[in-house]
Amino acid sequence: MQQVFTKAMARNIFLGGAGFFLVIYLALTYDTWQRIPIRDHADRITPAVARGKYLFDTNDCMGCHTVNGEGAYFAPELGNVYKRRGPDFIKAWILSQPTGVAGRRQMPNFHFTNDQIDDLVAYMQWLSNIDTNNWPPNIQG
Amino acid sequence: MSTANVSLDMPDPLPGDLAIWIFIFAELVVFGILFIAYAVARSTHVALFDAAQLAINRVFGFINTWLLLTSSYFVVRATQAIRNDRRQICAYWLTAAMSFGAMFLLLKLIEFHQDASRGITLSSNLFDMFYLSLTFFHFMHVVMGMIILSVVTYKAYKGRYSAANHTGVETGASYWHMVDLVWVVLFALVYVMH
Amino acid sequence: MNYQSQQVAKPYFIAALLLFAGQIVFGLIAGMQYLDGSFLFPALPFNIVHMSHTNLLIVWLLMAFMGAAYFIVPEEAQTELYSPKLALITFWVFFVAAAATLLGYLLLPYSKLAAMTGDAILPTMGRGYLEQPLPTKIGIVLVALSLLFNITMTLIKGRKTSINLILVGSLWGLALLFLPAFYFPVDTVKASYGWWWVVHGWVEGDWELILGSLLGFILIKITGIDREIVEKWIYIIIAMTLISGLIGIGHHYYYTGAPAYWIWLGSVFSALEPIPFIMLIVFAFKILAQRRREHPNKAAMLWAQATPIMAFLGAGLWGFMITLAPVQYYAHGTNFTAAHGHLAFFGAYAMIALSIISYAMPLLRGRTANSLAAQHREMLGFWIMAFSMGVMVLALTGAGIVTVYLQRAIDNPLPFMQVQEKSRVFFEIREAGGAVFLLGLLTYLSSFFVAGEYTYDDEAKKALKA
Repeated sequence: MQQVFTKAMARNIFLGGAGFFLVIYLALTYDTWQRIPIRDHADRITPAVARGKYLFDTNDCMGCHTVNGEGAYFAPELGNVYKRRGPDFIKAWILSQPTGVAGRRQMPNFHFTNDQIDDLVAYMQWLSNIDTNNWPPNIQG
Repeated sequence: MSTANVSLDMPDPLPGDLAIWIFIFAELVVFGILFIAYAVARSTHVALFDAAQLAINRVFGFINTWLLLTSSYFVVRATQAIRNDRRQICAYWLTAAMSFGAMFLLLKLIEFHQDASRGITLSSNLFDMFYLSLTFFHFMHVVMGMIILSVVTYKAYKGRYSAANHTGVETGASYWHMVDLVWVVLFALVYVMH
Repeated sequence: MNYQSQQVAKPYFIAALLLFAGQIVFGLIAGMQYLDGSFLFPALPFNIVHMSHTNLLIVWLLMAFMGAAYFIVPEEAQTELYSPKLALITFWVFFVAAAATLLGYLLLPYSKLAAMTGDAILPTMGRGYLEQPLPTKIGIVLVALSLLFNITMTLIKGRKTSINLILVGSLWGLALLFLPAFYFPVDTVKASYGWWWVVHGWVEGDWELILGSLLGFILIKITGIDREIVEKWIYIIIAMTLISGLIGIGHHYYYTGAPAYWIWLGSVFSALEPIPFIMLIVFAFKILAQRRREHPNKAAMLWAQATPIMAFLGAGLWGFMITLAPVQYYAHGTNFTAAHGHLAFFGAYAMIALSIISYAMPLLRGRTANSLAAQHREMLGFWIMAFSMGVMVLALTGAGIVTVYLQRAIDNPLPFMQVQEKSRVFFEIREAGGAVFLLGLLTYLSSFFVAGEYTYDDEAKKALKA
């Protein structure tokens, strides 16, 4: 070796490596972007689903629950709750909160109207049909 | 130059700069893990891999292997030339190597286009996923190698290298050989092994 | 401290420590709600406590990073800060905005806060770490721009060391990577994919660059080692960070609706993510072993030495445990992730923030180092915090294992709440660990009030006695 390993070379490896993998990531993201609408049935995002999602976010459901494993771990998974519990149970559950059972984890009552609850259920139904590579391992989430 | 004298005394040092060797080592580790992942996936889906393999263009694979091997040989000639202080000859060989690299890229792009029209995508099946990721990842390495070689070639034409000082040529050559080596393994594994 | 304008770092560091204390209080409340679900309900539902805990974490780390930038950039550039006044105004804007946002969380129902702050115009609220209302998000961007303007102008007129280039560059990256926070489409899978640009981009990418530059700065200062060597190492380490971490983002895409190829690509590249942390340990120990001087600030040296180890354990080891797709299939969305998150945030980012504070605060208070008594108190605080964090992380890992087994792996899986009840003992241990952590933090904070500064006589006396 005629030259020692200098800082300039280390910097070039950093810049080159970062740029290189950024390009690869962007290329993969482009492909992913074409695939997502197929995998999550984006064509089934009705206005009701969109309204339901807005309620879901502005009440911070993911502050306690998970959706496809993302969120907080204080309350059950909601990505597949439609399949686990069905629409009627979900509606009744949301309306009857909080349980008030001493010591049990409490969910607030958000004072939703019936239409709003229908929207939330529509959103959860849409969530339950996303192709998540077979996750969760079973219906319990 | 005192440093040059020191390097003459050392027994058979690695050509090129240490940085590029660290880089090459890291690259080989990444490709190694990818090849192992390929082998693991194949061992559990042999029938699928064998069937899907028939759809890719093996003729292009052969031509591309020849192009890269030839290109690597040109780079060897370039290194030999500069060791004998034949600066212009070195630049010519590097240009030849780069033109073969460019042909590889062109052919691979045509192949990618062909693949896309035949419905080979990252999501069509597990073999296609590996085939496309490995070849695209390698493709990007050839692009990187071309960038490095173009800097080296430019400097060679400008006469910045000599018999005493040609680390840059050896560095670029080492990287180019690595890209070539990875392709040979990739070709054998993905295109040929059945 | 060589430049008067570095003083602006002081309020940033003090605010960071105050917000840190607030973060721990909310953490304890949240932990308590795992034990008694009706604790403070309905005044403070869990999600509000949770977002206060995580948002305070982010804000205090940003405060500390900004303080570090205002301290380091002038010193490295060998010139006064471009505008100390702007830096002070920015501090107060940021601090008041953070406090107002926190009050908004605590005093209003979240949906009311959303309605009042125009979330309907551009929906951004309701996802982890990014719960802030729109005006706060815009405020964060403005504060970041003000910081970037100030330090970039300083850099332009001064010496351009690699430490400074990496620090200023990565702060630009931090601001750029925050912008996807404004992208929140109805398509939940795309929203989640983009959410990771911010979260992964920060904690597994850009912030590691900040960590590298801060650690490099501290090591140059306390060891007297040639900066060429330090900076070369930092470049190689952060190169490995991005080489592994950019495609390594795939480990967030396995089971959230993204295509299946991420399972393979994410596993391969995220398996490499511990490498930069191992390199960081080797680098720090090598540099410290070859040190050319004995800096009187032993506490700063302890922090700088412990940060790579804790960062490796939290980000490297605990991250690796859940990163491979077949493992994550069972561990995804469990307290395994919470364990990793706690140790990684503490070990890598809280500790590098405390390292730079430990080094800079004595200088900002006009002394080379604190008195030996104060340093011993500070180091005691470190050990209590590190130990109790270890307890919490092991407890959360235990809770994660219970979930993996009872809710995911066995033939007749149990429902979520039943499994949580069976994890109770781990949540009790976690809360106990949290309480001890608060004690450690108070011990650490009290070290600032131990009077006196370092004198050579003290140490000589102590050495003679021994």
